Amino acid sequence: MQEITLTINGQSVKGKTGDTVLTICRANGIDVPTLCHLDGLSDVGACRLCVVEILSEKKPIPACNYPARDGLVIKTSTPQLERYRKQVIELLFAERNHFCMFCESSGDCELQKMAYRYQMDNDRFQSLFPKLKVDTLSKYLAIDHNRCILCGRCVRACKEIAALRTLDFSGRGGQTMVAADLNLPLGESSCTLCGSCLQACPTGAIINKASLYKGRSAECTSADTICQGCDIGCEIKVLIKDENLVKIETTDRTSARGALCNIGRFEQLSETRARITSSMIRNAKGKLENCSQDEALTAAAKKLAELGSNCGGLMSPRIPNETIAQFQKLITGTQKSKIIDTLDGKEYRTISAGIRQYANGGTNPEVDPDIEGILKADCILVVGADIDRTNPVIGNLVRRAVSYNQAKLIMVDANQDMLPLWSELWLKPAAGTEKVVINVLANMVISNNKSLAELKPELSRALSLNEADKVTAKTAIAEKDLQTAAKILSQSKNAFIIYGNKPAAQNDADLVTSLLNLTYLLQNGKGERLNIVFLKPGINSQGAWDSGAATKDIKTQQPRGLYLLLSDDIIDKDWLDWVKGIDYLIVQASYISPVVEKADVVLPSRIWDERGGSYVTAGKRSAKSNPVIQRYGLIPDEEILQRVAEKLIAIPSRS
Amino acid sequence: MAKVKVATAWLDSCSGCHMSFLDLDEALIGLADKLEFGESPITDIKKFTPCDVGILEGSISNHHDEEVAKDLRANCKILMVFGDCACFGGINNMRNFFTDEEITSRYYSTESTTPGSATPKSKELPALTKVRPVNQVVKVDCYVPGCPPTPKMILYALTELLEGRLPVLPTEIMRFD
Repeated sequence: MQEITLTINGQSVKGKTGDTVLTICRANGIDVPTLCHLDGLSDVGACRLCVVEILSEKKPIPACNYPARDGLVIKTSTPQLERYRKQVIELLFAERNHFCMFCESSGDCELQKMAYRYQMDNDRFQSLFPKLKVDTLSKYLAIDHNRCILCGRCVRACKEIAALRTLDFSGRGGQTMVAADLNLPLGESSCTLCGSCLQACPTGAIINKASLYKGRSAECTSADTICQGCDIGCEIKVLIKDENLVKIETTDRTSARGALCNIGRFEQLSETRARITSSMIRNAKGKLENCSQDEALTAAAKKLAELGSNCGGLMSPRIPNETIAQFQKLITGTQKSKIIDTLDGKEYRTISAGIRQYANGGTNPEVDPDIEGILKADCILVVGADIDRTNPVIGNLVRRAVSYNQAKLIMVDANQDMLPLWSELWLKPAAGTEKVVINVLANMVISNNKSLAELKPELSRALSLNEADKVTAKTAIAEKDLQTAAKILSQSKNAFIIYGNKPAAQNDADLVTSLLNLTYLLQNGKGERLNIVFLKPGINSQGAWDSGAATKDIKTQQPRGLYLLLSDDIIDKDWLDWVKGIDYLIVQASYISPVVEKADVVLPSRIWDERGGSYVTAGKRSAKSNPVIQRYGLIPDEEILQRVAEKLIAIPSRS
Repeated sequence: MAKVKVATAWLDSCSGCHMSFLDLDEALIGLADKLEFGESPITDIKKFTPCDVGILEGSISNHHDEEVAKDLRANCKILMVFGDCACFGGINNMRNFFTDEEITSRYYSTESTTPGSATPKSKELPALTKVRPVNQVVKVDCYVPGCPPTPKMILYALTELLEGRLPVLPTEIMRFD
């Protein structure tokens, strides 16, 4: 990187070699209009709006992909350039249907802004009126090809941010169209609905069906918070109008957490469950009916006092640290109960048992590096994780590593190859034999590099029992595939292991230990942190686990009463069946659900965009959410818990 | 100074631009000193007489629109057009994506609530054409887009004209919707 000096519009400005002329102009506050350029994406020079005059060039040159050199003399605005730019806009308007008054994006559209800028008050060129298709069958996205200007921002976002390559161009010249896969409707294509293309589109060509008619971005207020859809905790910008969520956008598309996904961008916008807006209590007829908060709290406290230590607490891994602390204070402090667990406590106990086995009495290893590391990995091993369903943003990172870092992806999963187009190898072990596969791979890695055997001799001895030919019979994986996988792993310099919690892999602490051993060997015993990521069910799973709330299985302790802090989470059938056996149930939740219908007292809880607090997200990274919107005048969860505790303390007969 | 004579007409449009013109409110009183109004949809006079400024609202969508536009153009010194329909074809442009047959059958048969559902055919009725902005039929001197143009845009354009300049709306006040 060498510093260079250029003359732009008579002004001397500095930049670095490798910068484009556009980058230097923007960095120095020199305005150059663009349509196809988007920060964070590569430049293709499609729109020709950024044309500039460069002294050494005969013709106007697009600034966005012209490499800057020392001594260039550039003019960014001359009457001729401005005339060219206006003509580009006029031609774009004539090409397809760019009539603003019946466009959803009017007011937010970059093409429209350019027309205003160049004072385009009439159609100099006759419009062509091609009749192009409108693809509305995808769940959240609609593509109106009539509004498309072929800038290619969506194509590049799909390729570079989501690394999916679902969108690309089809056809040539004037017949060029953006197409999904081999010209499939978007809903039937490989699209994962991350919405990167949506946020990249400068016009009304890609439309968010979940935001339709809710308002223009320009009319919204915006607030920053974090997505609470999975344990990654992506930073998001929420656009709000009239106390309605209108759009969810990424704040930095280039960051590891910047792509967002279907959950973060769309699902949270299209919530259809009925909200609990008032406290409820079960009446004499056995029906839930609305009541004042005080009545509900009094009833709950009275029963809690009766139950004493026989009442357990169960919480969702979605709630922030502050609320967890308050809940623990209520259950273990005021209530003097030892029964407390989280909905994902089972995962915790499996993982921590695996880690303890690995440490073998020593200090527990550091695990869960930052997920950004995936981008730098040259080999990724995914075990029992349905990434594109549970943590789609990690799916993007894996694809980016495969596409742009030549990483080799190995999937170990009994049922499906989640990233079939990207994986180098798909190992399909027979049910429950994942740990055998991992152990034999570890053994092969040692035989490929004998020096590893000295790292932990007793481990090497134990692993050497896993002979490939015997393993093949047991796991149903061909020896050849195991050899290939071991070769890829041995050759990698920066391997990354992702462990998920698909049913097949659940409850197997030995698998966790095996994976930790393998990671240790792949890292040559070096590094403070093992490059293994444990995907967790909730955004604050780690925070709840760290607080010690999940050490003991609540199901084995059979409490008579239960305080379920569910908030906006859902519970599965297993939990529901178990809860049915509870005598007295207090539920603090946001949405009506079968478990709420079982409750004796229901307290309303805030949802993700209404609550603030801190979380420990993937990579043990702390993150904060902000209350960005308030509905129904609900008070925070921790305040409800506080009030329950106060009521409880005030009951004199409490034993 | 003699007052500037203005004539207006609407073509294929919703009359919203004329409404927006009336929304000038108190500014109209100031303009009344300098402008006088001849033929307009309010006076309902069908033939134009010579005037200084002609103002058209709406797109050219049938033979009648063409005739009115040509008549006004022949009678005015400066032709100004109001609104997206006149500038670009506007919302009427949607029709260009279908054939006349599809449009009329949809209107008179498929979606009609009257029994019979025949498409009216009479020589008296002007024949439909493709929807076009006014400048594809007659020469236009200045444009005020917007759906409708805001009173601010209209006032700017008229003030510029009265000052003897052909108005080009500045970026800050220009809008298409």
